[in-house]
Amino acid sequence: MAGAPRAQGSAGEPVRVPVWDGFVRLFHWSLVATLATAAASGFFGDATWVEVHLWSGIAAAALVALRVLWGFLGPTHARFGDFLAGPKAMRAHLRGLLSGGGVRHRGHNPLGGAMVLALLLVVALLAATGTIALGGVLKSGPLAFATSFATGWELRGLHRLLAFLLLGLIALHLAGVLVESRRSRENLVLALVDGRKEARAGDHPPAPRRARPVVAALLGGGLLAVSAAAVWSFAARPGLGVPSAPLDPTYAEECSACHVAYHPSLLPRASWATLMAGLDDHFGENASLDPETAAAIAAYLQANAAEAYDTKAANRLRRVAAERPFSITATPFWRRTHAGLPEALFASRPVGGRGNCEACHGDARSGRFDPTAIHVPEETTP
Amino acid sequence: MRLPTILLAVTLVATAGLALAASPVRQAILDGYAKEAGVAAFSAERGKAFFEASHAGGKPETPSCTTCHGMDPRMPGRTRAGKAIEPMAVSANPKRFTDSAFVEKWFKRNCDSVLGRPCSAAEKGDLIAYLSSL
Ligand code: HEC
Ligand code: HEC
Repeated sequence: MAGAPRAQGSAGEPVRVPVWDGFVRLFHWSLVATLATAAASGFFGDATWVEVHLWSGIAAAALVALRVLWGFLGPTHARFGDFLAGPKAMRAHLRGLLSGGGVRHRGHNPLGGAMVLALLLVVALLAATGTIALGGVLKSGPLAFATSFATGWELRGLHRLLAFLLLGLIALHLAGVLVESRRSRENLVLALVDGRKEARAGDHPPAPRRARPVVAALLGGGLLAVSAAAVWSFAARPGLGVPSAPLDPTYAEECSACHVAYHPSLLPRASWATLMAGLDDHFGENASLDPETAAAIAAYLQANAAEAYDTKAANRLRRVAAERPFSITATPFWRRTHAGLPEALFASRPVGGRGNCEACHGDARSGRFDPTAIHVPEETTP
Repeated sequence: MRLPTILLAVTLVATAGLALAASPVRQAILDGYAKEAGVAAFSAERGKAFFEASHAGGKPETPSCTTCHGMDPRMPGRTRAGKAIEPMAVSANPKRFTDSAFVEKWFKRNCDSVLGRPCSAAEKGDLIAYLSSL
């Protein structure tokens, strides 16, 4: 509040009183770190960054859960009751702002409080949509057993929108901090480091509340432990539409003679039928089989083609290139996802060709193609 | 080394060598081709020439056996898709030519890929003779 007289200490210095407790400060800067990591890996990382993105997101969600608890059990200025203002108080605050006056809040002012709520809410929604997207698209995490690829993909879009919304809110939040720092002539960032702010005459009188750290720690610990156990047990369920059976032995034997045995879920039925009908001219080689073996393999491929599964690979590789209908590496999706990898890498000894999925995908045989199983070999001379 | 030890060693090496040279199944496969071709013996030399030659008539991607098996049959080869192929020479890979269905399957495929026609019994016999002689 401009021009308000400051409370003076005995030496004439303004008295700086505790405002932000240790947990609130730790929470704030940890959230900054985890969200920065999640945003960087989400916006700029390729599939191999998924794990970093996941763990930073999980950490942010856990922090938000604990902060909500602390909003009911923390000390004075940590409580929601201290900074969540009703519409009347909000209007009064806005009027004060516009008239260049207004009361100084030692904790969050009503606008700042609304921002805190919005930020917590959007991070929580990001965690929820992220978990559904993870379950549906990558068939991993607690919702993999119940989420289709289509649902997961839609939620992934929403997750992206929320991420942009969060960036917008963070920009507003920083602008608000800057404006309020100038308006009240105090360093609000420093206050979030040492936890103290000046006590000034005319401050909005806080309603002092005692923190309940033991109850909060017990509840918080319990909440995290129960959530972790629930997530873990749900995540152990088999994913919806994820292949679980090992490859048919005859197929694995006959079709891995010249290259890796491609999982049948990597091409649609029509492609497998065309491929099996032309084994005597198979990519410039004769790969013919005796009729019984060929029939058995063709039946196995039809029963387990891309249409029979719901993994990302099965969904995406269903769309084949018209001119090369049974080339996995010619599909638009394959070309797009592998466009960033250098030609020399595919030609190198340890890889030996685009079609050698197993060189980079540890789980290629299972048909999963989980990004966390990607390990690209060190490039060596061909 | 004492005499009995040396004798034992010699016997062991000799039996191992014999076993390699004359797996009964491999001999039976060779005998079958000999009967079909109407010849008494095969030529390892002709087999070598056949193995290393560039043939016309097959698919352009695979002009020669060596396209995938390499010039030295004692070394592993490499398919066009980049997968290793175990050595063809019996000395390096004693399992070679001991399963007639397997042998026929691959002659059927690879003769068509490389030559654009089935191999004759004489060509098959010469080739096995060459790959057993290394
Ligand atoms: C005689 C060797 C041989 C056999 C046996 C063989 N393939 Fe192939 N296959 C090839 C070659 C060579 C390519 C082309 C690889 C390249 O261009 O890198 C290929 C490519 C493929 C591709 C396309 C991979 C890509 O790059 O997208 C599929 C799918 C495939 N094979 C399926 C099969 C199936 C199914 C069988 C069993 C019925 C089989 N192959 C047996 C030699 C073989
Ligand atoms: C040289 C290594 C290499 C080879 C070989 C390779 N991949 Fe990949 N693959 C990668 C990398 C790296 C990524 C991640 C790319 C990215 O996200 O930018 C990837 C991504 C993928 C994805 C998407 C994963 C996701 O969830 O986003 C699929 C599906 C996939 N590969 C399938 C295949 C198949 C099928 C083959 C064989 C025909 C294959 N890959 C061969 C390295 C390889």
